[in-house]
Amino acid sequence: MLRSCAKRLRALGSLRGPLPCEPRPALRSFSSKKVVYKDFSIPNPSWSKDIRLLFDEFMKKCEDGSWKRFPSCKYGSIQRTQDFKTFHLDRELTKEDLRTQTRLFTSSFEEGLGFEHVIFCNDVEKRTVCLFQGGPYLEGMPGFLHGGAIATIIDTTLGVSAAIAGGTVMTANLNINFKRPIPLCSVVVINTQLDKVEGRKFFVSGNVQSADEKTLYSEATSLFIKLDPDKSLT
Amino acid sequence: MIRRAFQVVARCGQQGALLRAPCILPGLNPASAFGSSTDSLVSRFCPEKTDLKDYALPNASWCPDMLSLYQEYLEKTKSDGWIKLPSFKSNREHIQGFQLPSGLAVASDKDDCRIFTRCIQVEGRGYEYVIFFHPSKKKSVCLFQPGPYLEGPPGFAHGGSLAAMMDETFSKTAYLAGEGLLTLSLNIRFKNLIPVGSLAVLNVDVEKIEDQKLYISCVTQSRDEQKVYAKSSGIFLQLQLEKESSQQ
Repeated sequence: MLRSCAKRLRALGSLRGPLPCEPRPALRSFSSKKVVYKDFSIPNPSWSKDIRLLFDEFMKKCEDGSWKRFPSCKYGSIQRTQDFKTFHLDRELTKEDLRTQTRLFTSSFEEGLGFEHVIFCNDVEKRTVCLFQGGPYLEGMPGFLHGGAIATIIDTTLGVSAAIAGGTVMTANLNINFKRPIPLCSVVVINTQLDKVEGRKFFVSGNVQSADEKTLYSEATSLFIKLDPDKSLT
Repeated sequence: MIRRAFQVVARCGQQGALLRAPCILPGLNPASAFGSSTDSLVSRFCPEKTDLKDYALPNASWCPDMLSLYQEYLEKTKSDGWIKLPSFKSNREHIQGFQLPSGLAVASDKDDCRIFTRCIQVEGRGYEYVIFFHPSKKKSVCLFQPGPYLEGPPGFAHGGSLAAMMDETFSKTAYLAGEGLLTLSLNIRFKNLIPVGSLAVLNVDVEKIEDQKLYISCVTQSRDEQKVYAKSSGIFLQLQLEKESSQQ
């Protein structure tokens, strides 16, 4: 396992709001805060050969526009945050100084230590695929990923599937059956599919397989709810 | 009898059948096959003297609610049979001298592994939690304060961080209550978001132990129980750890 020497900011994360699916890394600067948001959902030195190969495969699929790579931000998209704050929170509750200390959970790690992942979406087939390499800070039983880490990345990927269709959504139910434990630092593919939409309810299912599709690690079903802009969450 | 149990488990592991179907040990009553009593599991898990750092202790980042509830449960450890569980940097430290059953154990030379719920060690930024366990009632209470690095929706904890806290509390409870070792399933119904920096209390109960599986449930709510954050349940597979071989 490669250890990173550089202390680069990791920016991997899941967005649950309206998505700007851009095929190449985007640099945006916000002059009021002088913060630069960079897309880090691209290979870095900690990525193993398996995940790089899969990444290349999926980038090829993006060429005809049927698949799109989902860019990841460390702090979530500004647009999503603004919408969320405007519609769903009392303004007094959101402290600006707390905001600057926060990080999207799946991106709080140094390179290679946590959730190395990239998400690709296919709008027509309503499918979202996540290539995931879980690092040594995600351990449960010695040598294996923590069930909670697996739940987190499954929830993230299912959430993207729901968000593409529904905008700002939240997890209501999450069911995971673990078939086999996932070895630490191995590469897995999380496949998710939007099954059904009923009003504000989005039913998404998925599974976790090895890179060669020979091993089924987990299966999941979930329900996401589109947030009602008229209702406060607090 | 224990040795034979290990051998059968090892054979199951090699056949790969271990995880697809619970491996019922032939000729052994499931209840007695997992013969380590809760008391012996607890004393193995909670060493009286250790150099290992225990992360489940108050620090400056704990909110007043968490501190006062912690004190309440600490009092209960003196007379009501509750035990405060230590929380080390890695599960390897918790099971020193033991290893996963052969067939499951992977040779691993990684020194820099951390248990997921102790992955962010900056005080107050990640998981701040402590678990109290009651051996005879087979219950646990986890005091959980999610920090700003666990954020999902702005100002609130990521659903995955709560799922991980549930899985971790289930995991320790299942192990001490009946050698539950691997999560078979998790089912979570999220009701409300947990604000970052606030206290969530997870009340965990072992519902039953049957067919080599532990069934366990949890209600996560605010301290005053006025707000339910989530309800969940899990199923764990019973597996005995093996003593570490002297070659390691």
